[in-house]
Amino acid sequence: MLPDELKFKLREMIAGAESPREKAIDVMFAIQELQGWMSDEAMVEAAELLGMTPLELEELATFYDYIYRSPVGRYVIKVCDSTVCWLQGHQRVIDYISSRLSIPMGGTSADGLFTLLPVCCIGYCDRAPAMVVNNRVFGNLTPEKIDRVLTQLAEKADFSGSE
Amino acid sequence: MPRLIIDEREIEVPEGTKVIDAAQRLGIVIPRFCYHEALGSVGACRMCAVKFLQGPFKGVQMSCMIDARDGMVVSTTDEEAVLFRKRVIELLMMNHPLDCPVCDEGGQCLLQDETVSGGHGRRRFRGPKRTYRDQYLGPYIKHEMNRCIHCYRCARFYQEFAGYRDLGPLRIGDRMYFGRFSDGSLESPFSGNLVDICPTGVYTDTTARFKLRRWELERSPSLCNQCSLGCNTAANAHHRGVMRVEARFNSEVNGYFLCDAGRFGFSYSNGGTGHRERPLSPRIAGAPASAHAALTAAREALDNIAAKYGPRAIAAAGSHRNSFESQCMLDLICRTRDWRGPVFFWGPEDRRKTLSAVEGLDGEIAVSMREIEKADFVIVVGADPLNEAPMGALALRQAARKNAPVVTIDPRPIFLPCGFEHFPAAPEKIERYLGMLVWKAVEKDAARFGKDAEEFCRYLAAECESCEPPAAMARLSQLLASCSRPAIICGTDVTLQTTPAFAADCVRLLRLAGKQAGLFFLLPGAGSFGSALLSGTDDKTFADLVEDIEAGRVRALVVGESDPFHHYPDRARLESAMSKLELLVAIDYFPSETVRRASFFYPSSTIFETGSTYINQEGRVQFAHPVHCGGVPIRGGEHPPRVYSDLVPGGDHLPAWKALWQIAGTPDKDAGPGGISPEKFIPAALPAFDGLKAGHGYPVDGPRLLTAKAGFQGKWERASADARTGPENPEAFELLMVEWMFGTSEFSAWSDSLDAAAAAPHMSMNSKDAARIGLCDGDTVSVELDGGAFEIVVSVSDRTAEGVLVIPRHHSFEWRKMKDSPARVSAEKIRKI
Ligand code: SF4
Ligand code: SF4
Ligand code: FES
Repeated sequence: MLPDELKFKLREMIAGAESPREKAIDVMFAIQELQGWMSDEAMVEAAELLGMTPLELEELATFYDYIYRSPVGRYVIKVCDSTVCWLQGHQRVIDYISSRLSIPMGGTSADGLFTLLPVCCIGYCDRAPAMVVNNRVFGNLTPEKIDRVLTQLAEKADFSGSE
Repeated sequence: MPRLIIDEREIEVPEGTKVIDAAQRLGIVIPRFCYHEALGSVGACRMCAVKFLQGPFKGVQMSCMIDARDGMVVSTTDEEAVLFRKRVIELLMMNHPLDCPVCDEGGQCLLQDETVSGGHGRRRFRGPKRTYRDQYLGPYIKHEMNRCIHCYRCARFYQEFAGYRDLGPLRIGDRMYFGRFSDGSLESPFSGNLVDICPTGVYTDTTARFKLRRWELERSPSLCNQCSLGCNTAANAHHRGVMRVEARFNSEVNGYFLCDAGRFGFSYSNGGTGHRERPLSPRIAGAPASAHAALTAAREALDNIAAKYGPRAIAAAGSHRNSFESQCMLDLICRTRDWRGPVFFWGPEDRRKTLSAVEGLDGEIAVSMREIEKADFVIVVGADPLNEAPMGALALRQAARKNAPVVTIDPRPIFLPCGFEHFPAAPEKIERYLGMLVWKAVEKDAARFGKDAEEFCRYLAAECESCEPPAAMARLSQLLASCSRPAIICGTDVTLQTTPAFAADCVRLLRLAGKQAGLFFLLPGAGSFGSALLSGTDDKTFADLVEDIEAGRVRALVVGESDPFHHYPDRARLESAMSKLELLVAIDYFPSETVRRASFFYPSSTIFETGSTYINQEGRVQFAHPVHCGGVPIRGGEHPPRVYSDLVPGGDHLPAWKALWQIAGTPDKDAGPGGISPEKFIPAALPAFDGLKAGHGYPVDGPRLLTAKAGFQGKWERASADARTGPENPEAFELLMVEWMFGTSEFSAWSDSLDAAAAAPHMSMNSKDAARIGLCDGDTVSVELDGGAFEIVVSVSDRTAEGVLVIPRHHSFEWRKMKDSPARVSAEKIRKI
């Protein structure tokens, strides 16, 4: 069940749109912000608010890789696997993170802090290899830099660090 | 019209024809997956590549995406195009399992065909294939996602074409999935088309799964006889059982598709396990008898009655289920033997409505389903297309997709798979609303409509004066005024007697206003049009027969493919009348109550076992070819008999018309039992059939039996009079018994395959009415009628008209407790329990 307060906010958001479904992504982001991911129940409720069928919302949710249909860690690390990062050794980045956190690609660390995923080009080609953690982008990745970022994140419950 | 050359052959095609279709006209079938004529082009699969050698396009292009143009020179066999297609099919096959032997699509699979035709014989890809979890999609469709090649046909059919929203494309890349949000029955009653339309084995027909291979089947062009539309089907039989029904293309009728009732509603024809027992053995007083004995004994018994009381003591009843052959035979017998009847209708109301529909339809205004798709404004009056003629709803959706406004005027809380505006209207208000809508659209031109229309115009103007139109009506009238091809779809079930004629007159008025207006009636059953053509002027229906039986005027009743116990609204009265009969002869393929009670029973052949003519609701004559001889199916049936015989087990059935002829005896010696054929007796009953030869002799798209010009019907005067007198007790609710797509028809009652989709019955009523008598949605009530009470769940909606209770004639409960129909029931007779 979505909390009433959130529902109220979502309804307002939807009411402001010309057609409800144009807010579908924003609604899902708002729910994710609070709950971390889109559960089946959340999907059904959100679809109802949007006047869509759960299937129609699922079509969108599963199209975009920033909508999570299974639980993720507090920090979602997305390593770019597009051309330039690939050339610049994205696999080494993935391997390093995997072994540091002991998770495979797609896995979530035991402490529930980190999830590792691939992502398509994020426009950081000039600073490849790059990754995104939640909403922040990190380029020119080296093991040291990754260590720094991950340690900082693990220490700070409320992360607001910079590059 | 563009002329182009494809593979060195020239062809001229209509403007807008895609190159892929132009090639098909030359008999060149270019490989394709995503393209389907009904769904249009998307260019998704890249399989239809051809090479353009000359003209506005050059090089390898998708033939489904390019319109044929003058001067094009196209090669489908060019090396580059062939290689392109070979690579595409290799790519599509990359993830596909290599297990055709265990796939139910094998043998009728487009993917198999295109893989072979594309020349891809050896897999080079060595990586792991992607696999999926399949979903449960309900009783009809089995899901096997691993076989998907991502052509999108299913999603485009399901969502765009048919308008349902619970199946579609999910995920991305090579994880692309076609399915539902979660396991569950598909909501669309057109889901069976997924089986036909998916080029691979992702969706297969659960009812036929793993029972057969395509090449083992006997196949015939057949028809659906479950509603009045007469959709074209291909029937498939195997080892004396009908195994599967598929859609057969007919451009004017059903196009490429079928509804699920039509596709899956054949299991009644197969006796044995998994199906309600079909009576396959002739019976005398309930005991099995030989064919010869049963027919002879029935004939003798009838002769005795005729000798004792005169031939008028024998009556014959048919139904809307009869083929036209059977109806003509009943007609012939009654005429030549002086029996009473035949009656085809249950009550005078049904009869008059169907007759006035048939009379009001002429060749000028009648439209086909295809023309409904092209209409630019559709008014649905007193009709529930999805339930009464499902494919009609699909046609309506196609009109709505091209932005035609759709207006429904009906007492039921109508649902359609498209956008529409609903005006809840009790039956006596339907004409008034329709009149307003049409009058306001044509009013300004009325002066030049001429004498014929004068009175009607005056009447409509007065009606509009007398009451306030519902909000939104004025805007819709304006839209109607500006459209050019409006169509009216009019039902004959819940409407007043006068409504069909009124609707026809409205269409004529729209035509006078310069519009290509069309009319489309929905009739009670597949045989309704035929029975109306044969119903003489005596106005007799089954209701009269009941009186005749009660009064002792009728002592023997012959029923041909008809079950009064299913239809007659007063069961108690029917039972006592039937028990007064000295003789009841039944000929049928359903194990009905009438069959159970018959003194003599003879099994009749189903539409799958005998050639049958049906005339659909637009007057189109069509023929269903037999697909097999019938009998006890080997699969699912019992052990074959252990005695030697040259008879097919359970094969003792005859087309109803033949059985009737034998039972009735042959008064004219020249025409012995063998000497009669539909080719002779059909034209004798209906001269319009002169020169038409049954079966292969009918033109492919069916000639239409319509009068040249019917003119204004002018029955509206009576309508207004009826409406003004009003009911005696205005507080009482009007009970409207209605059809549902699943659960109300006789086919539904005897086909387990349809039962699977039938929802539990509920009674719809208006929210204000419900509040007034203290009922809520979901309450269970007992409704007390003159003949007893029944219990039913209430469904409350403000889309149901006020003052009516809408109840399905569902076979799962006994609703036949009405002394008169239409019945009324006062508020205190409805108790919450
Ligand atoms: S399920 Fe069938 S129709 Fe749908 S995309 Fe896959 S192959 Fe095409
Ligand atoms: S719409 Fe009517 S005729 Fe067509 S398949 Fe369905 S039941 Fe049969
Ligand atoms: S059929 Fe032309 S691209 Fe699929």
